[in-house]
Amino acid sequence: MPQVRIVAKNFMDMVAALPAMKLDKLYESTFICEAVLRYLPPLAKKYALQMLFIESPVTAKSMEEWVLPEALSKHRVATDRLLQLRVFLEIGDRKKEASYKMNPTFQRSMQKYLVQGGTLPREPMPLSVTNRLPTLEDLEAYANKQWECFLLQLINSSQAERLTNFSTSMIKVFQRGILSSRENEAPRLTENGFQFLLMDTNAQLWYIIREYITSSEDRGVDPTDLISFLLELSFHTLGEAYSMNSLTDVQSKAIKDLADLGLVKLQQGRKESWFIPTKLVTNLSVSLSDSSSRKQGFVMVETNFRIYAYSTLKLHSEILKLFSRIEYQLPNLIVGAITKESLYAAFENGITAEQIISFLKQNAHPRVAERVPAVPENVTDQIRLWETDRNRIEMILSHLYEDFPSKEVFEAASDYARELGGLLWEDSKKMRLIVNGELHQQMRDFLRRPK
Amino acid sequence: MTSVQTKLYSDDASLVVVLIDVNPYFWATAASGVGGGVNHSSATIPFAKFLNSMIAFLNSLTLLNQSNQVVLIATGINSCGYIYDSGTKGSEGSGKVMEVSSEILRRLEEFVDRDKKLGKLQGMAVGSNVSSLVSGSLSLALCYIQRVFRSGAIHPQPRILCLQASPDGPEQYVAIMNAIFSAQRSMVPIDSCVVGMQNSAFLQQASYITGGVYLKPPQLDGLFEYLASVFATDLQSRNFLHLPKPAGVDFRASCFCHKKTIDMGYVCSVCLSIFCKHHKKCSTCGSEFNHVPQNPNSASNLKS
Repeated sequence: MPQVRIVAKNFMDMVAALPAMKLDKLYESTFICEAVLRYLPPLAKKYALQMLFIESPVTAKSMEEWVLPEALSKHRVATDRLLQLRVFLEIGDRKKEASYKMNPTFQRSMQKYLVQGGTLPREPMPLSVTNRLPTLEDLEAYANKQWECFLLQLINSSQAERLTNFSTSMIKVFQRGILSSRENEAPRLTENGFQFLLMDTNAQLWYIIREYITSSEDRGVDPTDLISFLLELSFHTLGEAYSMNSLTDVQSKAIKDLADLGLVKLQQGRKESWFIPTKLVTNLSVSLSDSSSRKQGFVMVETNFRIYAYSTLKLHSEILKLFSRIEYQLPNLIVGAITKESLYAAFENGITAEQIISFLKQNAHPRVAERVPAVPENVTDQIRLWETDRNRIEMILSHLYEDFPSKEVFEAASDYARELGGLLWEDSKKMRLIVNGELHQQMRDFLRRPK
Repeated sequence: MTSVQTKLYSDDASLVVVLIDVNPYFWATAASGVGGGVNHSSATIPFAKFLNSMIAFLNSLTLLNQSNQVVLIATGINSCGYIYDSGTKGSEGSGKVMEVSSEILRRLEEFVDRDKKLGKLQGMAVGSNVSSLVSGSLSLALCYIQRVFRSGAIHPQPRILCLQASPDGPEQYVAIMNAIFSAQRSMVPIDSCVVGMQNSAFLQQASYITGGVYLKPPQLDGLFEYLASVFATDLQSRNFLHLPKPAGVDFRASCFCHKKTIDMGYVCSVCLSIFCKHHKKCSTCGSEFNHVPQNPNSASNLKS
């Protein structure tokens, strides 16, 4: 799913968009450096490591010699990224030869990390205070439940049984990109919204977090604080308790929202209260391409286009409803069928065939996931065919030329258009031709040229 | 092979098995500078410094990607053993760099002690040119990787990094070659970084055959820089980078009878065993050689 990558990029773009001063300040924390480093493309990671102990600037030219000539574009992407995030600083030279140097703050933090390791601003609380902590399974179940509840509320505000504590205005913010609400009309999922639902949890999470951070300024919270807090949180140990007293005002406000998303679990002791990071938050700093956090699948697709989904979750039936016709629902089983009509409705909403197929494959029930392919070929082929059915017509913006003064001019013009590769249609009897619109300027110049 | 190819690899997550040479004879000479001469001052590196660079390198590997995993195996002269595995515990212990390094040091110490006792038990001859048991640690690494292969569909991409200091032991030729071929079959590259005096013919071949990188850093003071810039590169990025190319690989084999490295010798036509002298019967497969060559030194590569 290409969409996932876009989301991931956008978040780092947000970090990159911070003012230089703030970014440098963020880099004083080894954890933020670590998270940023992990987000870089592999080649950029390597460069950062290579430059870690080099203090003098390195010219761009000598850096280009590190890569093979055919991979120069990758090199550009990597260095651009490093510059955007101010991991590398560009030093202009008098002789116009650019050279790069590592951001000294970043460099210092990373060197410190390699030698001494980082220290979290807070220690886990001793067991004597917290007594019994939830087991990891409980915690994961809690996180998943909380997250699914949130998603359900997001796509269908009226139907959620147990509302999260988010204010309606917050939910509105999250829904901004996902639902289109025209006046006097029930809110409808937009194209992005469908794609959002089909993403895996981690990608969805980042999307929401991003929205949360961008909207933070309206609430009078500095996005920098939030970003650094979130990245820091992701390095806390899963399942340990951390005291709430160690949080600043901004952080303790944010952590309540995060608890609603299932990122942390809040617990109240006799005297103190604490938060326990769940898997969702500790996975935040994992790169999105990593799929270790994948959940067990639940969908079986049969060759007769029938879908059996072993799930008790309402969210799943909502998602399946997007592209299939639900036939009946049992307490733990949803049965549906992929039909031409249901798929057309999905395509209409901007879902692509590839997204549906990859959703079915990713969430395949363990019994069928072992099989290759997990989704029957005739079904995937048919889904693709139905999609291409819709794209039979290709639109090309073009110009019609007629009323040529003579056959010669007409022929010269049509030859010229053919040479440019833009001739779409010609009628030599009536002396008309249609040429790709992009070439109009060239055609006009050609025709105006004095013979 | 199909089982390996259908595996799903996550992007640049890697499993690096690092084999370090803890041969006490070598490091003792390196420390005292017995190698002598002005030239050798930059050609040897004290063990403490070597360990420092190596631990920093391990840390940087785990830093690059949360799913990166590092396994450290020590190669002694009589035995080899697992020292550290970042996957077992404290996997999210990013803040525990200090603890990790002290654990590595403690377990290394234990290992060297045990190794020494084993040597005494067997009453091995002690010389300054004792080689380490690289074949053993290579096999350990491969076993570990095989276990990872079988653990599930998604796992980090494995590779082996061999940090060798002591000279090759020709008596391990067959064992090492077997390890190399099994690494090649499971598509695990063997990188080698030689910090000793001479190039290692075995590791040159290992890297050449498995598609790894062989490097003998000319300036050992900057060992970390070499490790970070060459050996920290994940397999995917290697396609885009200029990495050290082998200048020349020493393909000489060791004979099976006296474990000597030879340029020319006799090869059994049945099982391809190599001998430095003519035998009546192949010691490996038992085939009888009835033809006796007149002058073994005149022909280039005689087959008996």
